[in-house]
Amino acid sequence: MAPGGTLARAFGVSAGAVAAALIAVIVSSRASSSPSIVDVPDHLPAPPASALWVPKPVALHRSAAVAYWASVRSAVPGRAWPSRRAEIVAPLATKTPEDTTNIVLVVGRTRDRAGRLWVHVRLPVLPNDRTAWVPRSALGVYGAVHTHLIIDLERLTATLLRNGSAIFRAPIGVGRPEWPTPKGNFYIRDRLARYRSAFYGPLAFGTSARSSVLTDWPGGGFIGLHGTDEPQLVPGRISHGCVRFRNRDILELGRLMQVGTPVTIR
Amino acid sequence: MLIPAMFAKKHETQAISELTLSQLDRDGAICEAVVHVSGDTRATFLGNAVVGGAALLGALTAPALAGATAPSDVAILNYALTLEYLQAAFYTEAERLGAIRGKLTQIPRQLGAVERAHVAAIRAALGQAAVKRPAFDFRGVTEDQTKFLKTAVAFEDLAAAAYKAQAARIKSAALLTAAISIHSVEARHAAWMRFLAGVTPAASAFDEGKPISEVKAIVASTHFVVAHPKMASRTNPKYKG
Repeated sequence: MAPGGTLARAFGVSAGAVAAALIAVIVSSRASSSPSIVDVPDHLPAPPASALWVPKPVALHRSAAVAYWASVRSAVPGRAWPSRRAEIVAPLATKTPEDTTNIVLVVGRTRDRAGRLWVHVRLPVLPNDRTAWVPRSALGVYGAVHTHLIIDLERLTATLLRNGSAIFRAPIGVGRPEWPTPKGNFYIRDRLARYRSAFYGPLAFGTSARSSVLTDWPGGGFIGLHGTDEPQLVPGRISHGCVRFRNRDILELGRLMQVGTPVTIR
Repeated sequence: MLIPAMFAKKHETQAISELTLSQLDRDGAICEAVVHVSGDTRATFLGNAVVGGAALLGALTAPALAGATAPSDVAILNYALTLEYLQAAFYTEAERLGAIRGKLTQIPRQLGAVERAHVAAIRAALGQAAVKRPAFDFRGVTEDQTKFLKTAVAFEDLAAAAYKAQAARIKSAALLTAAISIHSVEARHAAWMRFLAGVTPAASAFDEGKPISEVKAIVASTHFVVAHPKMASRTNPKYKG
């Protein structure tokens, strides 16, 4: 429309009239010269069908229940606020005691005055429920999960939510009164299987929660979610702080829950 | 073509070059692609390979670099899939994190949806032959307005050029039709991102394709393709029990 509009303004006529005149010129030039598009033979082969089925654009599933984790790429101190001069809350290593990649739950981000990106993360340290700031440059891969595990110490149940809806519920064993399972907000750090201890059942998940009583436990006293070789004790207050499931339940949970899932113990 | 040269730091290249394939390729994605492309066995490849950032991508394209045989259509599709994984992951992460604002707010959502459709289509076509999705560490680029746009321009230019370079090698007419239908979308994206970045959308009358060696070097220079985090172990639990 731009050329037609320009011509219309130049000659003081309507744009529609200019367009009609242009088409007339094109048609007359085709009649007097060759070849043109209308001279292409009709017997060319039909174009081949596409080998791929290309679906409509795939929208991202949107949910308020999504949580993000990040791997720790380089050892770094977690700081009280987003500044290199801030007090150190706790150091972050690149590996867990089980030699898996150390991950942290992402709870926010900001930039400092110099424009450096800082990420607010949940820490696997004592006292429980602590957060700190780390530079983005110390973190690696981001992951997203749509699940959230709720451990109810009163009702002795574990409930897994996906996008806010319960998809799994099972009875559990939790810490004895003298070795209580800690309350707070945590996350799943890793997944262990095919180990040689029947005590933990066929599958175990490591969490960021730690016992505030048995702090000298090997590996740092982390709270695990795992199976058991004494299923008759579940549900009950029977553990050193870990959360015990019947074996069939921990296997089902393992099918549904990914590492990085937030865990609320209440 | 804008190349994200801000990522090509010498010390990072050196650090990665010291890694072995087994460290980089924990879930076997790279090895799997090599087996598809070269016909080599997994064991032979693992036995011989010590790779760095550039060689990692080179491994994906071994026959083309060797020049011995033309890549099969399956190998070309897997090559395309790898680039689509990269683009889809880039926009998906940006959309999820929600840090891209202003005139770019809709870009991660709109382009991400299209790149995910490309991934779905190619994976469906390849079935079991599809290479696994690598892990990506975008190093904060998905959280930075300026870097995000520069990288989007680079990725879209790169994808359009990569498809173009492979077109003449595709043996199946039906596959060529499909590849061209994706290529033109990548070219539209490239023009769109260039416009937003203030770069001439179509600077020349004829575009040139980019050979695999050039594409792999550009992708390797970003250090965006990384090993999957190790999330599982067979270590005996040390939890409190």
